[in-house]
Amino acid sequence: MIMFPSHGLVSCLAASLSFCTVLAAQEGIPVADPLVIAKCGSCHARDERGNMPRISWERTTPESWQDVLKQMILLHGLSVTPAEARDIVKYLSSSHGLAPEEAGPVMYDPERRVHEETDIPSESLRDTCTKCHSFARALSWRRSAEEWRQFADAHAARYKIASTAEAVEFLAKAAPLHTPAWDAWSSRAAKQDLAGRWLVSASVPGHGNYYGEMQIDRTGDGEYNTRVNLTSVKDGSRILRSGRSAVFGDYAWRGRSQGTGSPRSAPDDPGSEAREVLLIAPDQLTAEGRWFWGQYQEFEFNVKLRRASSDPTLIGVDRSSLKTGSIATRIRLTGDNFPGEVAPADLDFGPGVTVRSIVSHSPSEIVAEMDVAADARLGRHAVAFRRSVLPDAMAIYDRIDYIKVTPDSIVSAFGDRTHPRGYQQFDAIGYQRGADGKPHTADDVALGPVNVSWSVQVFHEVDGSSSDLVGAMSPAGLFTPATDNPNINFDTWVVATATGEKDRKDNPLVGKSYMVVTIPTYTINGRQYVRELGRWVDDGPAAGKQ
Amino acid sequence: MKITLSSFAALVTGLLLISTSAEAHHGWTEFDEKAEVTVEGTVTDFHYVNPHCVVEFEVKDETGHVRKWQGEFSNPGVLSRRGWNAASLEAGDKITITGHPARNNVLALHIFRIRSSNGELKLDLQE
Repeated sequence: MIMFPSHGLVSCLAASLSFCTVLAAQEGIPVADPLVIAKCGSCHARDERGNMPRISWERTTPESWQDVLKQMILLHGLSVTPAEARDIVKYLSSSHGLAPEEAGPVMYDPERRVHEETDIPSESLRDTCTKCHSFARALSWRRSAEEWRQFADAHAARYKIASTAEAVEFLAKAAPLHTPAWDAWSSRAAKQDLAGRWLVSASVPGHGNYYGEMQIDRTGDGEYNTRVNLTSVKDGSRILRSGRSAVFGDYAWRGRSQGTGSPRSAPDDPGSEAREVLLIAPDQLTAEGRWFWGQYQEFEFNVKLRRASSDPTLIGVDRSSLKTGSIATRIRLTGDNFPGEVAPADLDFGPGVTVRSIVSHSPSEIVAEMDVAADARLGRHAVAFRRSVLPDAMAIYDRIDYIKVTPDSIVSAFGDRTHPRGYQQFDAIGYQRGADGKPHTADDVALGPVNVSWSVQVFHEVDGSSSDLVGAMSPAGLFTPATDNPNINFDTWVVATATGEKDRKDNPLVGKSYMVVTIPTYTINGRQYVRELGRWVDDGPAAGKQ
Repeated sequence: MKITLSSFAALVTGLLLISTSAEAHHGWTEFDEKAEVTVEGTVTDFHYVNPHCVVEFEVKDETGHVRKWQGEFSNPGVLSRRGWNAASLEAGDKITITGHPARNNVLALHIFRIRSSNGELKLDLQE
């Protein structure tokens, strides 16, 4: 293992001297774990304070520590067993990790979401960092100023980056080693056990919402088995999943689960094996995140969990909007521990919305009939059952002003011999124009899925190019690229045409998404590039890969 | 729009990032960058998305028939720095658009200038 790679002796000594100066100025985070000391200490010699060079002046996520460990194994000959590697990552992610408040803003990275990073402070930083990886990858680290400088020097040498000065200056301020959030988190009281029953609400694009519960059983220190039971709001179908998970630093849930029962029949089957990434709230009463699968992690459950209690608890409602002037609309509320007696007065949907009657109820479900006044306040309303409240769970609207197709732009991919196809699921969401009366502004109100028919249109379709070459949309909005890779990229519109909702001119409402369907890999200047989430990455020399 | 692999590969600078924040996932080879066309039309839809923003609009031709056009330009990252957002063009807006026409008689433009109906300059990407 080499402490200062690619520097040469002189610069290495200079860096070491500079590093020693900083050591005196900035306190490191001591390493106390015997395994880390044993495995890393020969190169990262531990000082009398317990600090180990590099390691004590940086903190990051479980994924990044795992990457570091892989690098040490591959490049520097570190020898560890899988169990030791797991324990090292677990220790470092906890004692040299991020506080939940630091991890939250970059969760889209481990959650493998395609995320538009609009907050990169300058073009120079965009150029320096995001040509190869997300900006979140950089912001997933906390380092001392000197450690950022050392890291940048090594990074620049290895990846041929011209200038890193601005990046170092920015990151040293934006992502310092010591922060109030980390101080508070690292000095927290003893961790709690996540074992028990949790209530789950999940949305699965193309499949709608699911509600149910997860039983978490402890199997070791920060390790759990899970059993999940979910019911579809749309069609009542059930999903049973089982899995295993490790929790790093008391909040970073990293697991894997799959459906039980019959083998998966379709790529978007919600019973598919999935990775689980959740952020557990500091009070350990709620959690939120993504379960995902697919060649490009394009299929997902967006999941929210809360610990079950003995109190009546609302989990979700079977619709997300009600129209003004509607009478006797039947809605179904899913929950936990609903009491034996339920009256209309137990439910509250805000001003202008009246519970006409309770049709039926059980410990886990209430069916009610609702009236909405013609002059009910437009916008989002909370839904409450006694003291259990779902904020903004119901939108009251007068008309659907437009349809938004989500995602509004995306890349899908043909397959080849080594890369399975990249599918894409779309949803058509109705929107009301909001309080300002203007569509496509920040106050617009999402009303939930709209029934539509789907189609694909190739841009500038004039020369015989047919959408048949591109692929096809299912009635549920799943795009499947054509089986044959035509070695051509297509810019397309994914078009959702409402089957019921009309615009002011009595034409069907139409929404569109801009989808680029790409070849899976390409070769240029002897190197192969492959798609990784929303970007192309250099996959090394092309020879023998095609 | 389609790009053959050979021309696609030649556009490597743009191609290295087909990210949600990329400036362009391809070049503008389907447009005649040496020609300019100015048309007046009415916006029917505006898509403030990556990799390109797109405005759909209707133009009356010489015979009085209404033709559907599509104009592509820039991306939200660049336009937001010029004060644009998803509501900068709305259905019904009368605009005058100048851009490079598509080849092969397609009713499409690579837009570089947009004026409102009163002549006010809304966007000039050549500035």
